[in-house]
Order: sequence, then C-alpha cells, then structure tokens
Amino acid sequence: MAPLIRIESLHYTYQHEGGAVQALRGIDLTIEQGEYVVLLGHNGSGKSTLAKHLNALLLPTQGDVWINGWNTKERRHLREIRSTVGMVFQQPDNQIVATIVEEDVAFGPENLGLERQEIRRRVEWSLERVDMLPFRHRAPHLLSGGQKQRVCIAGVLAMQPSVLVLDEATAMLDPIGRQEVLEVARRLNREEGVTIIAVTHFMREAIEADRVLVLHDGKIALQGPPRTLFQQIDRLRALSLDVPHVSELAQALHRRFPAFPPDLLTPQEIAAAVIACCEERREESGERSARKDERGERNRTRDKFTLLTPHSSRPPLLALHHVAHYYMRGTPLEVKAIEDVNIEVHRGEIIGVIGHTGSGKSTAVQHFNGLLKAHEGEVWVLGQNLADPAVDLRAVRRAVGLVFQTPEAQLFEQYVGDDVAYGPRKQGLGPEEVRARVRRAMEAVGLPFEEFKDRITFSLSGGQMRRVAIAGVLALEPQVLVLDEPTAGLDPQARRQLMRHILDLHRQGVTLVIISHNMEELAEICDRIYVIADGRTVMAGTPAEVFSRAAELRAIGLDAPDMTQVAEALKAQGLLPADAVIYTLEQAEAAIAELLLAHGAALVEAPVGEQTR
Amino acid sequence: MSEFEYLRNVTIGQYIPTESTVHRLDPRTKLLAALFVALAATSTRSVLATLLLIGLLMGVTRLARIEVRYVLRGLLPAAPFVAALMLMQLLFQGRFSVCETVYWEWGFVRITPCLIELVVLGALRLVIFLFLVSLLTLTTTASHILHGIETLLAPLQRIGLPVHEFALTNIIALRFIPIIAEEMERIAKAQASRGGDFGGAPWWRPDRMARARLPLIVPLFVNTLRRAEEMVVAMEARCYLGRKGRTKFVDLHFTGLDWLVIGLSVLLWVVVWRTPWPTFT
Repeated sequence: MAPLIRIESLHYTYQHEGGAVQALRGIDLTIEQGEYVVLLGHNGSGKSTLAKHLNALLLPTQGDVWINGWNTKERRHLREIRSTVGMVFQQPDNQIVATIVEEDVAFGPENLGLERQEIRRRVEWSLERVDMLPFRHRAPHLLSGGQKQRVCIAGVLAMQPSVLVLDEATAMLDPIGRQEVLEVARRLNREEGVTIIAVTHFMREAIEADRVLVLHDGKIALQGPPRTLFQQIDRLRALSLDVPHVSELAQALHRRFPAFPPDLLTPQEIAAAVIACCEERREESGERSARKDERGERNRTRDKFTLLTPHSSRPPLLALHHVAHYYMRGTPLEVKAIEDVNIEVHRGEIIGVIGHTGSGKSTAVQHFNGLLKAHEGEVWVLGQNLADPAVDLRAVRRAVGLVFQTPEAQLFEQYVGDDVAYGPRKQGLGPEEVRARVRRAMEAVGLPFEEFKDRITFSLSGGQMRRVAIAGVLALEPQVLVLDEPTAGLDPQARRQLMRHILDLHRQGVTLVIISHNMEELAEICDRIYVIADGRTVMAGTPAEVFSRAAELRAIGLDAPDMTQVAEALKAQGLLPADAVIYTLEQAEAAIAELLLAHGAALVEAPVGEQTR
Repeated sequence: MSEFEYLRNVTIGQYIPTESTVHRLDPRTKLLAALFVALAATSTRSVLATLLLIGLLMGVTRLARIEVRYVLRGLLPAAPFVAALMLMQLLFQGRFSVCETVYWEWGFVRITPCLIELVVLGALRLVIFLFLVSLLTLTTTASHILHGIETLLAPLQRIGLPVHEFALTNIIALRFIPIIAEEMERIAKAQASRGGDFGGAPWWRPDRMARARLPLIVPLFVNTLRRAEEMVVAMEARCYLGRKGRTKFVDLHFTGLDWLVIGLSVLLWVVVWRTPWPTFT
C-alpha cells in the first residue's frame, strides 16, 4: 500500500521584499497512517511552510507531494486532498466562520456537498470527540481559547480526514487550553487512528510523538523518537530549541550515576526512577509506613488557600489594596472582573503575577497606570492615591509603563523610529531629547538605532516587532515596567533574547511586574510571586513559598515548574523533607544527587573522567 | 462606565433566548409576518388602527416572554429622531393640509387637525417599524435571520445576484464584531499607556483629528486585514471553493403554525387596509 503522505525532494521558494527566500530546500519524507509526528523548529525554519504543502495550500516550486497517491499539483483532486488532510491554525478566532458553534462545524461538510442528515451526524460526532457537544448552540466569542480551538478541530474532523495537521495550534493558548487540545489530539490518534502532524516550538509537546522531525533552514536536521532525540541536548540548542528541564535533569543525573536512565521525558518518570532507585534500600529498613502517615497529616493541614504576607515594611512603589472592578457597570450585563486583588510592588523588585486565563490578572495590572479605575479598594502609585482627582494620569502613565499582550499588534507608524518616538513626542519633548530617548529605548531591547530607525515597521520579524513595541513604552523612561505575557507566542530563541533585555533593564534600576504562564521563567527571576484566582489574590510569596504549594496551584488550574513537580512527587513518598525548596534545575539536581548518594547502594558515582559518555 | 469600553455594550440586535413559541417560529415566517405588519401600518391613515397594531405587537412581545418595558426602553435612543421628524412635519407640512379648520397660523407654519393627525401617525408608524425590528432581533439570532433572508431571496440567485455570498459575508462580519470591539479597546489602552490621547484637535481641523486617531485606526486595519487573510486560508483548507456543490446544514422548515402565522399576517394586512376606519377629520 502506498504511504499516506509521500514527499520527494520538496523545494519551495517565495519572494519577500524583492528577494527570493528558499523556505524549503529538499525535504524527503513519508508518513504512514496512524503516526503521531511532531515538526519542531524555530521561527523561519520552514515548518509551517512544510505543513501548508500537505493540503495543497502551497504547491512545491520543485519536487512533489503525494497524498493518498494524489499529486497536490493536480487541481482536480483538491477537494479529496483537503478533506483527507485537515488543518487547524494558530488563531482560533480567525478560523471560525459562523456565529454558532454547530453551524461552524458544519461548514466543511457543507463544502463537501453532503446530505443534511449526514452533516448533522458528523457535526454531532465530531463535537462529541472534542468534548464540545454541550456547547453546540453557543456563540464562539463566549468560549475560552482552548474551547474555540477544539471547535476548530471539530470543524476539521467533520470532514473525516485521515490526517490532522495542527499548525502551531497551541501557540496562543494558555497551559490549560494547550493541555485540552493536546489531549484531544492524543485521543484521536489512539482511538480513531487519525494521523497527527503537530507543528510547534514547544519541546514538551513532542513528548507524545512517535517521531519528531526538527527542521532547520528548510531541511530536516534531526529525526527520531523523542526519547533518543531529546538526549542530543547540545545539538538541539544549536538548532535554537529549548531542551526541557526534565531531559537535562535526567542526563545530568545519568552523568553522575550511570545507572540512572538518561532518556526520561516527564516529571513523573523522573520521580518514578528516583523512587525505584531508593525503594530497595527503604524496604529493608522498613520505615515506609511511618513516613506515609506523616505525609497524610501534612496534606490535611494544607487544605485551604493561604495569603502569605509580604515581608517588607517599606512603603511600596505600587499597591493594589482590596481592588474590585466590574465590566459594563450599571447595565444588566455587569460582570465582576476582579473582586479582591492585593498586590504590593517595591522599588527594584521583580514581581511575577500568575493565574489562569480569565482570573483577572490582566484587569488587575491595568489599574497600575490608571487605565482602569478601581470600583472598590485603593490603588497607590508612587505615593499617590489614584482616586484623587488631582492626580496627573499622564505622569502616572509615564512612570508606570504598561506593555500589553502581543504589543506588536499596536504598532502603527511606517518607520520603526517614528513608532518608538510616539510617546516622547506626545509628551512635548524637543527633537534632540526625543532622538536621544528613542536611541536609548531601541538599544535597550537590542535594536541598534542607526540600523533599525528607518526600517519599515511591518517588514520586521515577529520578535523584532515585539521589541519595537516594548521600546515604544521604554521611550517614556518609566520607573516601573509592567509586562503582560511578554514572551507568549515567541520561539525559544526570541524568548531568551527578550528576557535577557528585560533583565538588563532591571539591572539599570527599572522595577518589573511580569504576568506569565511560563512558571520556569518566573521561578528563576522573580523576587515574589502573586497568584490570582477568580478575581482574588489567593497566594503571595517568594517563588519557593508559592511553588511549594503545588497541589493548591493545581486546584486553581496552574502548574508548578517541572522541577517542583519532581520534588513534590518525592516529598509525597517521604524521600525529600517537606520544606525542601526546589524549583530550578540546579536545586533539583543537587537534592536528588544527595538523595541517591544517601540511598542508592546500586548506584556508584562515576569517576570524574568518565562523566561524559 | 470606563472610557475604554467601546462596543462591548452594543445592544443592537441583541438576542434574548426565552425559548418561547415566537422564538421557535421559522425565521422566514417572522420576516414575512414583519413585512405584512409593516404593509398594514402603511396601508391605513387611521391613528386608531395604528394604535391597535402597536397593541398587537405588545401582545406578541408578551407571547415571546419578553417584557414590553424592555423593548420600549430599547426604542428610547430613537426618540430624538422621532421628535425631529415630528417637528419638521409640524413646521413644513401644514401648507399642504387639506383641512379647512386652522388652529394657528404664522408665516408658512399652519397647524390644522389633519396635520396633527399626520404628525402623530408618522411618529406611530416609525415606532411600529422600530418595534418590529427589535422584536425580530430579540427573538431570532442574527445567523437565523440571515439564513432566512438567504432562503427567501434564493430565487434571485438565478438572475445572477450573489445571495449566498451576501449571506456568508454578513455572517462572518457579525462574527467579527465582538472580536474587533475587543481589539479596539486593547489598542486604545495600549496607546494611552504610551501617553497617547485621541482628542486634542479642534473640530474645524478634521485633518488633525484624523491624524490623532491614526494610532487607533492603522493597527485596527492592519490586524483586521491579517485576520481576513488567515480566514481565507482556513476556509480554503476546509474545502471552500465557492457556492458550487455546496449543501446547507441549517434546516429551515415550515410547520403548520408557521403557515398559520403567515396566513394571519396577510389577513391582518388585508383587514387593516380594507376596513373603513373612523377618522376625526
């Protein structure tokens, strides 16, 4: 039987700004029915271009793509090809055509010219598969990101494709939405035998795959099952990809204890391996039961949320005290956005704010520069109560710079330099001062002034545009910078680069407030973290304090960093003390190494010379 | 109300799902019935008949389990227009009045009983039309209305009118209203955070006013165009190749009740049209 997908020496060249760009440079690939393939690569590696060749949205410049034996160049098979290979894209909002969920799912089958009864059957079947049947009569704009993306998947499933291509379908979702979508993909693959091809730059999503392909410069640079692939840490780094902490930890432990498996992929696997190493020893000494009782006791005392008080007694730079805010206040449609948020920010701190989507964290931080007015409670900024009508809001907005999510969507000037200069010009500064500020702001985010000031804004890459947008806020020279999801949607390389610039700003004296879903990132840089759930501050403390409450975080839909999850699993077995502080790779490695040394009779530490295989 | 909440409280075309009999009627029935009630309202010059029609619409509102007060409150924003219309008629229509009695006359302004009747009638007719439109949107989702229009106008497709494309375009436009409203709010807030304000130009300098709004309008356009491009790709990926060979999922079918309502509304029109209503002039 012919393979489902066969690609032979595929080349694709397109024109961009007058020059030819070689996006794909010789891809040879076959994919069989029922496979789960993940396509990894940084932005510009060609992974999305390759995906769009699979259902003839793009046609090869050279070479061929066959789907089920149909060459994608033959227009007469277009309908068959596109109904065989279904595709879901990054932005759910831009894929939903109807104002009612079930009508949207019906769009594909309608295009195939199916009978009404058959369409109905397929709509119900596919909404059922993605757990969205109860929402069939809802309006899409009232759904969460993950729900919307599942509706998009249902819309594709309704055409009964053999292949489902997820083209960065999780990039814009929060962790819960991402899990929802991946869970659906996994189930379709296992239960319905649907071939999954997931394009992503999240290494973690590759864990589920049968096969991982890494694209680089339009070629397949690496290929293999995730377990073997993830061990090539240096090679992956060279391809601008992030290696999950879990893989790094497993390999670090393997180097010191050769018997420790190097190819573990999840926190659970690490914990299980550590427990297995310690098990024999512990069974001998028979102390297991005693430990277990102790653990039960601890869990019971930790049942409810706790608000840890911040340590500092200095007056804060910014403060929200019991702030509540309602949307559409005074109408029958009034919605409570936040009801009791408390945040204090001191000069020079880096504060993290976490919470699931819809928890009100973005609403909360918009009070810091007076964009929203507190309906209840008090907002203090630089010693002023914002409820005081004498407060100059423009001065407040200059002192507290606020960078929104995907700020590149707010750029408007043709030239980079003009866009960055918008704020200072509005402030009425002279041309010399404006120029000096634009220069400083652009250089602070790694965009050399002379090289970039006259570039066309909309021709820059996504990561560069985001840095221009941040520079536009920095040009106001704020004392505090509030960043809402600064790295969302960026590939690992752009993300690392941006975080480096943000930390440089902090070193120059800018106080930072960062909203993020990336727990690893926050764990490493924050002084304190606030947790917001359902419009309330439910926890506040150092990363160590907050992440040690992994169970409580999970209860409100948040994940602790991977390393904390490993530690929690070990604490649950009584292998690590309950008060051990572990949230970074280094901490986890040190603690587990110590544990293995203490327990593992079978594990011998490798001599220094043999550390690398 | 926050200064940045723009379109979130758009209530035009708001749908209130009470699952009443009126809601369950076929959208085509409601469109046709509305048409005949409108015809009835324009086919009589009697204030009494017009008032009776309004009474009938209130009855239908009760039947739809929607508070009449809520509908009337929704008409309030139109009040200035109704008042302006009444004033215009009062000032300029008197000269054409056929009545002999004249209450008051000054220059070209001439107030007669016929004129007063005409003014009241004009206002009441406007109220009926607005009432009909709100009742239709309160009890029918926008997409159902569009499917209804598409089916009713389907015969026009044969003479080359792009009815299907019109309906699809409108459904997609409806879908984007809340998305673009939210986007606009976010952009305005972001520019305000950069020290921007969008007023500040005097009204006699529209060029400067437009310039001040560029920071809102440019990103809104750029983002909307980008969305449109992505939408096209997504639609193509779902096998959309135009109207040819397409079937329809939404199943509109008439029940006995639908026929009854259509029949009654035609009857209503004929009766209102043919009855010799008493007039006081």
